[in-house]
Amino acid sequence: MKLSFAPSSFASIITPIFTQSKIHTRPISYSSISTRPTSLKPKTPLFLRPPTYSTTVSELQKWHNWAQTLASSVGSTFLESDNGPTSENLKREVVWLLEDVLENPKSNLIDNCGFNDGGDFVKLRVELGDLYVLWKQRVEERRPFQYVVGCEHWRDLVLSVEEGVLIPRPETEKIVDLVSDIIEGNEMLKEGLWADLGTGSGALAIGIGRVLGSNGRVIASDLSDIAVRVASFNVQRYNLQDKIVIRQGSWFEPLKEAEGELAGLVSNPPYIPSGHISGLQAEVAKYEPRLALDGGEDGMGDLLQLCTGAASMLRPGGYFAFETNGEDQCKFLLNHMETKTKGVFYDLKIVSDFAGIQRFVTGFKVK
Amino acid sequence: MSYLILKRSFRRLISSSSSIHFQNPSFKSQCHHFCSSHLKNTIQASGYHSFWKRCRGSVLFSANYLKISSFGPSERFFGSGAAVELSSSDGLTVEGIIAKQWPIVEESVSDWKSHASSIAQSIHLIKKRLKWKKLEVRLAILSSQLEKPDLWDDPIHAGKINREHGSLVNKVKAIKVYEQELFEHIDMIKLAREENDPNMESESMKALASMRKSIKEKELEALLAGEHDSCSCFIEVQAGAGGTESMDWASMVMQMYKMWAQHRGYRVTVVDVMPGEMAGIKRATIKVDGEYAFGYAKAEVGVHRLVRISPFDSGKRRHTSFAAVAVIPILDDGATTHFQINESDLRVERMRAGGAGGQHVNTTESAVRITHIPTGISASCQNERSQHQNKASAMSVLQSRLDQLEIVRHAQANAQHTQSLNDISWGNQIRSYVLHPYRMVKDLRTNYEVSDPDSVLEGDLDAFIFSFLSASMDKDEDDL
Repeated sequence: MKLSFAPSSFASIITPIFTQSKIHTRPISYSSISTRPTSLKPKTPLFLRPPTYSTTVSELQKWHNWAQTLASSVGSTFLESDNGPTSENLKREVVWLLEDVLENPKSNLIDNCGFNDGGDFVKLRVELGDLYVLWKQRVEERRPFQYVVGCEHWRDLVLSVEEGVLIPRPETEKIVDLVSDIIEGNEMLKEGLWADLGTGSGALAIGIGRVLGSNGRVIASDLSDIAVRVASFNVQRYNLQDKIVIRQGSWFEPLKEAEGELAGLVSNPPYIPSGHISGLQAEVAKYEPRLALDGGEDGMGDLLQLCTGAASMLRPGGYFAFETNGEDQCKFLLNHMETKTKGVFYDLKIVSDFAGIQRFVTGFKVK
Repeated sequence: MSYLILKRSFRRLISSSSSIHFQNPSFKSQCHHFCSSHLKNTIQASGYHSFWKRCRGSVLFSANYLKISSFGPSERFFGSGAAVELSSSDGLTVEGIIAKQWPIVEESVSDWKSHASSIAQSIHLIKKRLKWKKLEVRLAILSSQLEKPDLWDDPIHAGKINREHGSLVNKVKAIKVYEQELFEHIDMIKLAREENDPNMESESMKALASMRKSIKEKELEALLAGEHDSCSCFIEVQAGAGGTESMDWASMVMQMYKMWAQHRGYRVTVVDVMPGEMAGIKRATIKVDGEYAFGYAKAEVGVHRLVRISPFDSGKRRHTSFAAVAVIPILDDGATTHFQINESDLRVERMRAGGAGGQHVNTTESAVRITHIPTGISASCQNERSQHQNKASAMSVLQSRLDQLEIVRHAQANAQHTQSLNDISWGNQIRSYVLHPYRMVKDLRTNYEVSDPDSVLEGDLDAFIFSFLSASMDKDEDDL
């Protein structure tokens, strides 16, 4: 396991405002392994910052025109070079950036109709000058939009993210749908203990925590201390600290006491073959944590470890769902489980994402 | 003075119950006695509504008395089931007033006949717009269904019947109250003249004039009496053939609706946009949230034509392009015509997904398309910030499109609505916008035209909408 973080040269140009006084994880029914106390605190996403800056509508309009022009200049060059964003994607992001920094985003100000006339003042959550810097970072440096605004909209959640934490992907949303379907009418799963390994921003843990029954609990683990801090922040923002506990450590290590007890296990582990990392689109390769992406030479290292762990950690009838790199990994895993861990799992399935790519392997531990 | 008015307005009411007199100046107790003992059988026989208005103006009533308003019209008009034609004390009816053809002069002129004539015509128009006779027939059917003892065995059906009955009762009630008020004022004026009371006459005249104004406004509201008119809606614009010029036109049309909707105070959200390669849009869908959004916007369904010198033509030639507009109501949850979607009939696809996906790709683009396989109808959304939300939004568009299918199916089984649906059928050219060689916007259905295309393109559409709605509602002369 490598512990490496994205370069912080593009870390926020704005002094983070710490609204979190102290991150703490409350112990729940089972004993809590101590989490390393952390001195660093997560950055506050733009949309949660106080609207303490103001500018005129016409100044903001100037920024908007500039930002749109910069977006237009991209055309399809990023798309052609590394499957990056097009002008169309970037223009939509301009609107969302404004949505996050304006005090009243729902006013007609940022509607596509353009701005109202007049020298009226508007309240912003960042200084106008910083807004220029942020958009330059997005377009010229290819800093991921989600790191620029400090959040990602995922399912019906708005999750805080920052450099060092994987930005949750739309594909991964489906795991929550799968879990939500599977627990329907199954009390053991619905009210049981779940684990989300390599939780990153806490997306899966929170998504699942919100569909479980009142007694359902989730333990989420991550090796990265930034991830642990950000996930804890997100858990508290959704007021799920009684339901979800975040622990630092590698895979199953922080939840040894739950061996044979897990009702469910989900993970979106690093699965990209090491050799592919450098060729990824700039947003991913330059900024996202390698720890969360690099799955070793064939990308299967962590997935195989999870399969082995699932055999011992799940209770009889327990469910698992893992995200993979695609068809090859799905088939390999399925084959592995049907042969190497023969008789341990049943109802093994490959599930495709909405793009039609075989993405997930799911199954149950035999009863 | 107030006592006098009360007495006079009561005179007719109490002619059948002679024991009650207003000799006692202790007005309040008289009223109390009067109201409590004769409320149901006496006051409801005639103009209590107007009476209460007057009383409230002159005497302070306790809350007890005011509660009386909650009895009233519905019981009075529907208690017996049969609709009785209302009239003044000397037998004048709405139809009678219209037949007299009293000339209608300006509102400022104190001529009760002019006011009455105008009000009678408004009532007549509103009744026509509400399709009054059909409405009464329908109401009778619903009333008899409501009386069936086994109605509530099927609570969903019963709920529908009950809701529709309630809404029709309210419509009828509103008109009856106007008629009642009209005759009340007429009687008062006649009475005032008999008794030579100029104060009373002028007060009633004023009331008549203000009623004339307020019912005029109701005429517009009655244009939106369709079953789904009060719904929010989706507006969709699709560019016709003709490349960038027509895609630019489509985006101008979309812009026109956005601005129109915002001026009307509706909330506008872009659901789905497919931009053109160079400029404009191939198609787009917006959601317009607010009361009567569908009722107004449905008047815009059809093909819109633009004639201008194309800014995209280096040869500066004149081009004609087309954009098609569709409007889909967003039905309430309680609506009767919801299409039942089977989860297993749906196919959900990620749009514009390139490459390996998953951790390989960081994109803020998470558009999905949902297809209802049996009908082939699909919907997509890419303007939300998560795939989950895009899916939810696309799903709501799909639901509305399928609901619309259901509405058409329902209407075909129900001949009375077919006419109105034909009026808004998709695909007809409805309006022409000419920017060159002359400047004009003309509605081809009503021939309504204006010579300022800019204001229209900036969303000033109400005049077109109203002229179309009134033309389509009012064309069958005798269809009350």
